[in-house]
Amino acid sequence: MISQQITQAFQVFRMELDDHNERRERLIKASRDITNLSKKVIFLLHRLVMEESTGGKDTDPEDVIRHAGAKGRQKLTEVQNLYSGLKRELEGDRFWRYERQVSPGLQEYIEALSLSHFMEHGTLITYDQVQQTLSDSSGAPHFLLPVYDYLLGLSDLTGELMRFAISGIGRRGGRAKANTICRFVRSCKADFDRFTPYIRDLAKKQAVTVQSLEKIEDAVYAVAVRTSEYDVPPELMDDIVALSVSNYRKPARIGERDIGGDREGE
Amino acid sequence: MDSATLDQLNELLDSDVTLREKIKDEVAELDKKTRIMAGTLNKIHSTPPDLILNLLDVVRPTITSCRDNMVNLAAIIPPNQFWRWKDMWSNSLRASIFSAALVEYLSNRTLITLPQVCEILGIDDSWKDRLTLPVEDYLHGIISLVNELSRLAINSVTMGNFEEPLKISVFVKDIFAGFSMLNLKNDLLRRRFDSLKYDIKKIEEVVYDVSLRKLAPTSTSTTS
Repeated sequence: MISQQITQAFQVFRMELDDHNERRERLIKASRDITNLSKKVIFLLHRLVMEESTGGKDTDPEDVIRHAGAKGRQKLTEVQNLYSGLKRELEGDRFWRYERQVSPGLQEYIEALSLSHFMEHGTLITYDQVQQTLSDSSGAPHFLLPVYDYLLGLSDLTGELMRFAISGIGRRGGRAKANTICRFVRSCKADFDRFTPYIRDLAKKQAVTVQSLEKIEDAVYAVAVRTSEYDVPPELMDDIVALSVSNYRKPARIGERDIGGDREGE
Repeated sequence: MDSATLDQLNELLDSDVTLREKIKDEVAELDKKTRIMAGTLNKIHSTPPDLILNLLDVVRPTITSCRDNMVNLAAIIPPNQFWRWKDMWSNSLRASIFSAALVEYLSNRTLITLPQVCEILGIDDSWKDRLTLPVEDYLHGIISLVNELSRLAINSVTMGNFEEPLKISVFVKDIFAGFSMLNLKNDLLRRRFDSLKYDIKKIEEVVYDVSLRKLAPTSTSTTS
């Protein structure tokens, strides 16, 4: 190439590099928006359960949780719309080019989605189900979900479940729920263990999962020990607790978020 | 997770592992060739000008033999997954680009174009989503070329070839002007581009030494 041709060639390179950098920036921004929205949904889920559980005896606590999960799922369509808008940016070979930019938002979304799914159905959302939410109405995926992001998103779920279990322990039906969650998180941990050799980051997150699991186990243990002192059915325990709480409204808020939330009942 | 789901995920992850192994083997082969080329091309610093073309002829078959590895890689990579795996071979690819660019410069005194590199390495345009030659890798190869030429400028003077630094100087300035047009972000390419000025300075000093002592031929064709 003579100098003029070199200049021309570099002009083309500049266009290509600019195009790439701009798309990269756009995707970083979009990923950040998705992360924020997903985080908000997670807070929303916790809040919904907390607020609606203050209702009287006639509301079934399981219904409240299911209802919250469904609301969270609806709210997450906002994120799904964002992804459908990104479809063109991530078309063909582009997805893997920008995977590193997309990955954080994707994992946060999967965390929020799996939490709402658990509340609604009591199960772990499957890979195919997540992929389905990232597809258009005819079922064509916006992009192929990497197993890596699916598993890492799920492994964050256990932390949220720990929060959910422990803050709910003072609520009607919360002790039974904590038990269910405890078993669920334990099986999650076992499932994920199988994949740690494939995914390096997963091993780190497993350590956090183990911590969360231990916290739930401690809480469930404390409840079991105390309940054993009274020979009453669990529903009756709920009533006793609820009564004490409503009779002694003011300081009750303090204990609401920690394990000691059920002490007033004893 | 039920066992069907676990198996499904395991299968997906397993196939990735197998794929990675296959790519690794292929890249190891490619890497061997780039080392052979680099080893041979290193002799340009001690080869007199009239023997350079023979030396380049020795390297050419190795460069074109990289085509086999490219064909194999393109066959292994699943559709649309080029960017997922490219980091595994980009160093070897850049080394091959560098060798091709150096051979092209020493034989024709021109900068090899990106399509030319694709041609020599046998990278087919229809593989685009599986194997392609990104601008970034091409530019890395060209920077390596400039790094090498700054050494050659010095060593050719040692061998008594006083014209070479002048030719290199003109060529490298064109390349530098090209790079200056790019909006590089803060990455490796940017840092390597920043280091180009030291190469240019080195070459300029050689040109200065040679001209000051009136060692260089005063033909106007080489100094524009």
